[in-house]
Amino acid sequence: MFGFAIFIILPLIGAFFCYLIKDLRIQFIASLLIAVLHIGLSLLVFLGIYHAQLPTFFSIDSLSKFFLLILSNVYFWVVLISFSYLKRPVIAKAEEGKKFYFLLLNFYLASNSAAMLSDHFGMYWVAAEATTLSVAPLIYFYRNEEALEAMWKYLFLVSVGIAFAFIGILLLTLSAKGTMLEGKQLFFWEFIHNAAKLNPIWLKASFIFIFVGLSTKIGIAPMHSGDIDATSNAPSPIAALMSGSLRLTALLGVMRIFQIIRPTSSYEFAKIIIVVGALLSLFVAFVFMFKVNNYKRMLAYSSVEHLGLISLGLGIGGLAFIGALYHAIYNSIAKVVLFLTAGNIHSAYKSREVGKITSVLTRLPKTGWLFLLSFLAISGIPPFGIFFSEIKIFEGILFSDKPYLLAFVMFFLLFVFINMGKIILTMLYKKNDDETLQVEPERFELINVVAILLLILLTVIAVASPEIIYRNIINITKDFGMNL
Amino acid sequence: MGNVLSILFCLSLFYVSVTSRVKAYVAVLRIQGVILSVLMLIPFLYNFSIFGIILPATLILVKVFLIPRYINKVIIDLDIKRRIEPTIQQMTFLPLVIASVIVIFLVSNILSQYTEMDVIPFASGFSAIVIGIYIIMFRKKLIVHVCGFLILENGIFLFGTAVASELPMMIELGTLLDVFVVVFLMGIALNRISSTLEGFEVTHLGRLKD
Repeated sequence: MFGFAIFIILPLIGAFFCYLIKDLRIQFIASLLIAVLHIGLSLLVFLGIYHAQLPTFFSIDSLSKFFLLILSNVYFWVVLISFSYLKRPVIAKAEEGKKFYFLLLNFYLASNSAAMLSDHFGMYWVAAEATTLSVAPLIYFYRNEEALEAMWKYLFLVSVGIAFAFIGILLLTLSAKGTMLEGKQLFFWEFIHNAAKLNPIWLKASFIFIFVGLSTKIGIAPMHSGDIDATSNAPSPIAALMSGSLRLTALLGVMRIFQIIRPTSSYEFAKIIIVVGALLSLFVAFVFMFKVNNYKRMLAYSSVEHLGLISLGLGIGGLAFIGALYHAIYNSIAKVVLFLTAGNIHSAYKSREVGKITSVLTRLPKTGWLFLLSFLAISGIPPFGIFFSEIKIFEGILFSDKPYLLAFVMFFLLFVFINMGKIILTMLYKKNDDETLQVEPERFELINVVAILLLILLTVIAVASPEIIYRNIINITKDFGMNL
Repeated sequence: MGNVLSILFCLSLFYVSVTSRVKAYVAVLRIQGVILSVLMLIPFLYNFSIFGIILPATLILVKVFLIPRYINKVIIDLDIKRRIEPTIQQMTFLPLVIASVIVIFLVSNILSQYTEMDVIPFASGFSAIVIGIYIIMFRKKLIVHVCGFLILENGIFLFGTAVASELPMMIELGTLLDVFVVVFLMGIALNRISSTLEGFEVTHLGRLKD
């Protein structure tokens, strides 16, 4: 029960504590302590040093401990910089939002951990919906019109999407009619072991509902719009949290149903749906990168692109599947750096419009260089990890039964890279004629330190390629019944 | 008994398709809450247990009292006008609803030949899901969208009873709590929208685009 206490109960207590204690600094210290304990235990569980005993509806397998570590990592860095972020001046109305910031973050950690550790579809659903509820008020942090609209759209679209996922879960029950699973609980493992006996029609219907429903949260096209609005209008740490971990929580739900469907005759069907959704996401990112004029929306579209790429790898299988799991790690780290540095730019320029951002390298040299490096990281430039994971995904596609897909993927990614590059380089280098360059030297803030550390981490994981990560990923592929 | 209640539930969907008053939507939500609660209480006529009554009791509390009251409060506080402001004519909406319900019932009947299930609750539940989506699509007022979402949720609940999914009580309570909090947050957001954006129709939400 110690594991359960640290992963779920403690963040809940933390949320309650933050409700009682109004001092922001104490809230921060408590939340950081919880985050440290969470990442420490996640790491011990991941390394196999500690075997957590969890109550009914929760268990740990290779997939959940993999995703849990990604969540812990992203959450830790986000909490670490949150206090310095909150000290930045905001409009008077937004001061009110600070009061609930750490409370909601702790609640997010509890619900997201519950979703990742659940081994029951019902529990997963409840926890995944709770993550939406914890994030939605955080999107409205700035208390402006755009944030309000984004919060409403996110809350509404994701709630309807999650309701669809619930229909999928009910259809899964229906697929078990007449089998030994009838009347039993919706435990993942029971379904995975008896997948061959499930009714294929209902299983396919269940997959479609769960995939489409959770796509609103993952950001898979064409259900991505709420997610884009939310990510681009939320404060940077929250956007980082959403891009780095929340989308993966929803992806986990899709992976669970995909795991069930894999040994059945419906596998090809599910594969096609995932691949089509993934390609559509890449296409959407490709198209919108041409017209986007808000750099945070650009980063949100980049998330759509990368989640599309991860989904594509999962759908294709084999080496691409391994690449997709590596990509999940690297993307989560790179997105934190991108959003945090973009947050610095937003704080300095008070605008998200690309046209209003000029000479970042002169005005904010540290942030500017880090922003440039994180752009190179997310674009798959070596030695950053994404280069290696993308190579694996490409290789997987090339040696699959659909090698021609690689041409589309490369085409889309090339133009995304060119357009993103154009926007970012304009922001960094373009000089404004009217500008009177009387700039104060940029202070070296904690966010910059975190960004440097994360970029180093991104490189070290890729270059050192720790055996433990590889072994865990291989175990996941085995759980999915893949022979490599 | 289950079939009779499901048909009543289905009739409430027709009512909601023809009415043009916002308050009628809330009344329908209340009626649907009662129907679902009675449906949950039927098994207790034969096999009573104190522990098992918690879920139907919570269902009544949340779906019949708390949520409708809260929505009514939002309507009064924001002084939302009575009309629902449809985007299509009522005389187009009703045939659309009827045609959808007929198709759903026919398809459910065909599907029931392959899988054992209660056709009437199944089809009624699914009809509510589809009509909930229609309401969200074809109405302008955001409060009516919330009602559409709740009708969709009620449909899922009925649908769940039709496929005889037995979720543990803790999880059922969790789903109810989640739905309640969603509605609560939507209420708060609506309040802010009415004061910040000076309106509560979907047309007021057009700032975020590329």
